[in-house]
Amino acid sequence: MRKAVGLILVLVVGISFWVVLKNVPFGHDKIGVGNHYIENAIQETGATNIVTSVVVSYRGLDTLGEVTVLFIAALGIGMVLFSVKKTSAKERQTSSMVVQTGTRILFPFIILFGIYIFVHGHLTPGGGFQGGAVIASGFLLTYLVWPELETKRERFGAAESLGGLVFVTIAILGLVFTGYFLGNFLPTGTQNHLFSAGIIPVIYIAIGIKVGSELAGIVADMIHKE
Amino acid sequence: MVNPSLLIAIPLAGAFLIPLFALASRRLSRYLPPLVLLADLTISLSLVPRVLEDPIIVILGGFKPPFCINLMVDMLGLSFAIIISLVSFLISIYAIGYIKTEPIEKYHALFLLLVAGAIGIVLTGDIFNLFVFFEILCISSYALTAYEKDKAGTEAAMKYLIQGAVGSAFILVAVAFIYGLFGTLNMAEIASNIDSAEPTHLFMILALFVVGFGIEAAIFPLNAWLPDAHSSAPSSISAILSGIAIKTGVYCLARISYTLMNAQELLILISLIGVVTLLVGEIAAYGQKEDIKRMLAYSSIGQVGLIVFALGVTTYLGIFGALFQVANHALAKSLLFLGTGYMIYNVGSNRLEAMEGLGRKMPFTAIAFTIAVFSLVGLPPFAGFVSKLSIIYAAVQTGQAVFIVFVALVLLATVIEAGYFFRIVQSLYFRKGVSLEYAKEAPMTALIPIAILALLIIAIGVYPQLITGALEGAARSLLERGAYISSVLGPM
Amino acid sequence: MDLVANSMYYLGAGALILIGLYMVITKNNLIKIILGLSLVDTGTHVLLIAIGYVKGRTAPILTEELLESVGEAIPKVVDPIPQALVLTAIVIGVGVLALGLSLAIKVYEHNGTLDVRKIRGLKW
Repeated sequence: MRKAVGLILVLVVGISFWVVLKNVPFGHDKIGVGNHYIENAIQETGATNIVTSVVVSYRGLDTLGEVTVLFIAALGIGMVLFSVKKTSAKERQTSSMVVQTGTRILFPFIILFGIYIFVHGHLTPGGGFQGGAVIASGFLLTYLVWPELETKRERFGAAESLGGLVFVTIAILGLVFTGYFLGNFLPTGTQNHLFSAGIIPVIYIAIGIKVGSELAGIVADMIHKE
Repeated sequence: MVNPSLLIAIPLAGAFLIPLFALASRRLSRYLPPLVLLADLTISLSLVPRVLEDPIIVILGGFKPPFCINLMVDMLGLSFAIIISLVSFLISIYAIGYIKTEPIEKYHALFLLLVAGAIGIVLTGDIFNLFVFFEILCISSYALTAYEKDKAGTEAAMKYLIQGAVGSAFILVAVAFIYGLFGTLNMAEIASNIDSAEPTHLFMILALFVVGFGIEAAIFPLNAWLPDAHSSAPSSISAILSGIAIKTGVYCLARISYTLMNAQELLILISLIGVVTLLVGEIAAYGQKEDIKRMLAYSSIGQVGLIVFALGVTTYLGIFGALFQVANHALAKSLLFLGTGYMIYNVGSNRLEAMEGLGRKMPFTAIAFTIAVFSLVGLPPFAGFVSKLSIIYAAVQTGQAVFIVFVALVLLATVIEAGYFFRIVQSLYFRKGVSLEYAKEAPMTALIPIAILALLIIAIGVYPQLITGALEGAARSLLERGAYISSVLGPM
Repeated sequence: MDLVANSMYYLGAGALILIGLYMVITKNNLIKIILGLSLVDTGTHVLLIAIGYVKGRTAPILTEELLESVGEAIPKVVDPIPQALVLTAIVIGVGVLALGLSLAIKVYEHNGTLDVRKIRGLKW
């Protein structure tokens, strides 16, 4: 019965998709507002990665919202899985020596790679979210190998709140210095250099730290739950 | 003049600050939300004189629209922002004393984020930004519904999450289609180019939006999550969800059908959906003989149906009536849920029979409860009378036979509504309670917001002139698309 | 053939969305329903990127050679906006998914099962 309803619904939705998509020709040049960004991104923002300048400068409020969504998810998970008594880590199969040694060697490189990704967000593909995810995966690796490792949960929480506060503060400072919320008040610098693109690298560093500690905190909550 | 972007930035900053405060002292973090929301309320009230003349366009980042995201603070958005900040300010005062389950700092942070999302929805002028803020609202409400972490709460939150996520996916697909067809995401630019797309495509996109936002606004048949979610959440969360969150769904529907797509001919379908929702909600509420919060939740569904019905009457008076009802329902339903919170706390169960005779032990709460009930049913001299009268008069004024039928159904639904609401009032006052020795009146942190809400309902009912100016401006700004487009993009 | 090559991406994205939707509606295991939500999200992201693609152009990152071509009449890069939108949408999807999974952990703890037909504590 549910299968029949599901099939009918899927069919109706599919037909409506097809009707609209017939008129969005694939591969044709239908860039509207995007042309302005392609032509002017390098002068107005100084970042050679056009996607980064769109994400942080032109559509910065979306990024603020996105950062908030992750914050809400982390808060929600911390709240749902909250328990007053600390559950002790169950007896797990300890990882083999190969995995332990390998993790000890790899962990710093993973963190370094994550930091590289978000510091260079305005020059190469990447950015705060991608770098933060890589950092969190490094922490996930250590939790898998040493489940009793109790990196202080509060430190993750503090780092995450600080990262978010830095982002909102920069946005409000933009209001103070340039009269526009999220306005760019740092020099744009020479293109393709590390210290260029105004507030973009600063925001991305804040986001990278925030997302990294946030996702690591979510992983910690879920692992220490059982 | 204060930059309206602070209306969104201040709650966000407050929410980020709360975990840091909590490191120092957990109890202290309870007091931050009322301060933040009071600041928001004052800022939004101070903007009213300026916005009544001309909408404020806030350009973010210093680039000109449509090459940036802009906030479009017109009277419609500002009225919603005022209602949101007022109601959430009062609920946050209530929550100081009501929320006792740990971890309380996360509750308050999530609450501030919910309000930030709601205000962002009503102030933004970009359709993808609307989606992002809508997600902020939805995800915080999923998390807050599960706050009690009991069996009913987590199940209700799970159902809400699944249905809400499907709705959000539909909205995102609709945004993708709009971008594919128009090449831009700025609402004013889409609105000015809307005639370049074929009506069939616009109908499909509008249908996707209606389904997506309709799940949050809880119109029939997309309201399966609401009774569970609103009855299993802690009462202050039920209040904010019923009072604010579903209204933002209605706001999005209004913005998209009127300003964006100019779908005036299709609005009669929206009225039909509204009337059906109203009847379903009220009949279901009448059938609830046990759980009081479930009854209130079904009543919310019904009231949203009434608001959506009024939205479909495309005259100034109809939209004015819809907005007045938004204000009335936000105040009254929040009041009902806040009062019920301590009533349930006193008798230890949310069954109707357990509350018999409670009116004598909790006099203030019960009087406020009765005021809210009378207002929702539509009796003078309360706010609900003005809104229901405007809606019915506007519908009759159109002269179309369909609307006369609808009006008859609305009156029928009002009778049903009176039936179940008066049942509660009767049980509160005119029945003998069984074992109520331990019941006492609600504490001060609860009585202050309840009293203020009740006074506002009476004030607006007796002197509707207090808000008619603002709401008429709001109705005008919804109907006059040309003004919207030219404010953002410059004269055409 | 040309028609297939042109609509392949739309068909793929649409298929992902529809399969995910079907899973959400018909499956009984809570984790499978959440997986269906993830599929719907992925399909929507692919759809967005496919809408922004222009044939014969490259990624919107201005390397040295592309820097010279800025300002020419016909740009050599793909539309950057859908990419920015998808960045945001992926993060939002991850947030919802994580919250859903933690709720599923709690539901399992309370009910002992993940079968939605048996978790019917809240009736009409």
